[in-house]
Amino acid sequence: MANLNIDSIKERTFDAIVIGSGMSGGWAAKEFTGKGLKTLILERGRDVKHLKDYPTTNLYPWEFPHHGAVPDEIQKANPIVNRCYAFGEDAMHFFVKDAEHPYVQEKPFDWIRGYQTGGKSLLWARQTQRWSEFDFEGPARDGFAVDWPIRYADIAPWYSYVEKFAGISGNRDGLAELPDGEFLPAFPLNAVETFFSNHLKKNYKNRHVISARCAHLSKPNQIHLDQGRGQCQERTLCQRGCPFGGYFSANSSTIPWALKTGLCTLRPHSVVESIIYDDKKGKATGVRIIDAQTKEAIEYYAPVIFVNAAALNSNLILLNSTSSRFPNGLGNDSGTLGKYVAFHNYSAGISAEYDGAKEWTTDGRNPAGGGYIPRFRNVYKQETDFLRGYAAGFYAYRGRMQSGDGIGQELKNNLAKKELGDWQVGSHMMGETIPKESNYVTLDKNLKDPWGVPQLKISVDYDDNDEKMKKDYLEQMTEMFTSAGFTNIQTRSDKRAPGLDIHEMGGVRMGKDPKTSMLDKWHRLHACPNVYVTDGASMTSTSCQNPSLTYMAFTARAVDHAVGEMKKGNLA
Amino acid sequence: MNRRAAIRNMALIMGSAVVLPSCLHDDKGKAVVELKHLKIDADQEKLVNSLTETILPKTDTPGAAELGINLFVFKMLDDCTSKEQQADFITGLGGFADEAKKQMGKSFADGTDKERTAFVTQMEQHSKDKNYKDNAKSMAFYQMVKGQTIFGYTTSKFFMTKQVVYELVPGRYNAMYPAKKAMA
Repeated sequence: MANLNIDSIKERTFDAIVIGSGMSGGWAAKEFTGKGLKTLILERGRDVKHLKDYPTTNLYPWEFPHHGAVPDEIQKANPIVNRCYAFGEDAMHFFVKDAEHPYVQEKPFDWIRGYQTGGKSLLWARQTQRWSEFDFEGPARDGFAVDWPIRYADIAPWYSYVEKFAGISGNRDGLAELPDGEFLPAFPLNAVETFFSNHLKKNYKNRHVISARCAHLSKPNQIHLDQGRGQCQERTLCQRGCPFGGYFSANSSTIPWALKTGLCTLRPHSVVESIIYDDKKGKATGVRIIDAQTKEAIEYYAPVIFVNAAALNSNLILLNSTSSRFPNGLGNDSGTLGKYVAFHNYSAGISAEYDGAKEWTTDGRNPAGGGYIPRFRNVYKQETDFLRGYAAGFYAYRGRMQSGDGIGQELKNNLAKKELGDWQVGSHMMGETIPKESNYVTLDKNLKDPWGVPQLKISVDYDDNDEKMKKDYLEQMTEMFTSAGFTNIQTRSDKRAPGLDIHEMGGVRMGKDPKTSMLDKWHRLHACPNVYVTDGASMTSTSCQNPSLTYMAFTARAVDHAVGEMKKGNLA
Repeated sequence: MNRRAAIRNMALIMGSAVVLPSCLHDDKGKAVVELKHLKIDADQEKLVNSLTETILPKTDTPGAAELGINLFVFKMLDDCTSKEQQADFITGLGGFADEAKKQMGKSFADGTDKERTAFVTQMEQHSKDKNYKDNAKSMAFYQMVKGQTIFGYTTSKFFMTKQVVYELVPGRYNAMYPAKKAMA
């Protein structure tokens, strides 16, 4: 019996455990296995294998029962996830349905989740800009949150490292506020995007429209072909999973790469209940899971644990990992765990028409989505009545003059009309928000999820700074659109709840001082240094750039550090 | 551009959220189409079928019936509209049938192509008239059917392969493309 028990423990012991198989977890697994470590990935959802498990990927619109529309019953049963732009008939099987994983909204929060191998990396919008020195020095300069324990120079080589493998398309634009990277050819701006780019260059200081940088293989290198991925075919049906591996997802890239080493075990249906802390040893020794299907509790062990469960679920796991040493959650000596949660403000947009460039249109589809306007507010110095700033999308498109007027042959002619309409232009706001103690997540004292884990209670809201910034975005864009000669300008300001941006961050922030932060500069818990958190939970501030690329770079950097510590014997 | 937004916009056009009791006549023949929520009889089914064919008739290209658009319209109304919209649909179906009968002297489905076209053309005119009062919800009904007919048609295999070709795998993005060439 004793031997059997020892064998069973041995079977459940690894060199490293990675919680989560998505954007950052996939990278952790790839890096650990690449350095020869036997690695366990715990994924709470089902397994989704590249190509094999993309059931809708090659369907034409008419092959869907509702040609893409979501049935009313499903919409009504899922008011939260139904608000997500990508929740359509073609991809709804990759989203968590509202009832499947309940949570408590102390304030309205649209928590959009994807529980499967690859997580939300299957579904993301694939925009990948580096953060800049202005982002990492932001809290210190502007006096909010705490100072990041790192600077751009610390992360720059790791950006290069992950960009080369993931495949990022873009131009070297030479902008300090949006550092260049290791780029594949960019998807070019079209006629009107170029027109607006030139207009800004001519009339404004430091305002640019550049080709949006995105995780698409515009021209694959050998390293991408080695992953079994091929050139992006401009389908723009990415949320279905790509049969070409044309965009970066954990499913198409890091996870199969890790599995190929033979050192990686991927365990789906594994809901992490908590991280096990051994008071005597003074460190974390493993992870306790609930098998999602059998509800059986199982423990796995490793000398190092990476938490990559996605920002808020990483918070939940730490909050639920209590011990006599850490009664308020693992590593929570500072009392900051779950606090200083922030997000991106996507609640404004603008659209207009352009009566020009009529000799041009586009052909095919642009996976980058068009142009990107890097932050131009408060970059070099504070110049407005709000802190920080916003980036913006900018896109122009031209459609056919399709009309549903009339009946009979007239209607048929109107619907198939071979005549182009005027150019339409649009922009959406991506605003940085300020992390605050009053924006927090915690565990509900009574309610539990179907696996017996306490439900997460979310209390996150906009503030006055967000309102001022939104007003400025709408004013500045309206002015730039007007001076460019765009007409019929319509602004949009909606009341969407935080969360719908799917850029929630923080709660386990990095910092120099263990008294005011959770993680050190290597993403280790100050108070339990064999546990690393390298997903969105670790962000001290949010920048206004999309965060996924930064999670990837941070994760690769942290694994490199962890393996170094192991070699030194510090994690034995 | 965005199909999802288009569907939502269409849903907005489709009638207000007024709940009205449905008046069903169970003694009439059963509809052939299988529906989960909507309750319609054979006559009502015939009316909707002939309305979709009137909106989208067979000309030198296929019409609604040949493309199965009538069945798609029923499926969409059954699955993708709210209870309130479905109540409006049923009420408006009755109103539409009554008005057609009054004007044509026979049921809509029994009318000739010309008679049905004349009646629907009149609905089209009403739809542009700001002062038109949709007392019997017949306009709400008509616009639901027309909206779904258009959606079904423009996303049909026929339309997307023969009229305006949809490419599943474009394999290219030309950012600067001559407009003349695109519409050639």
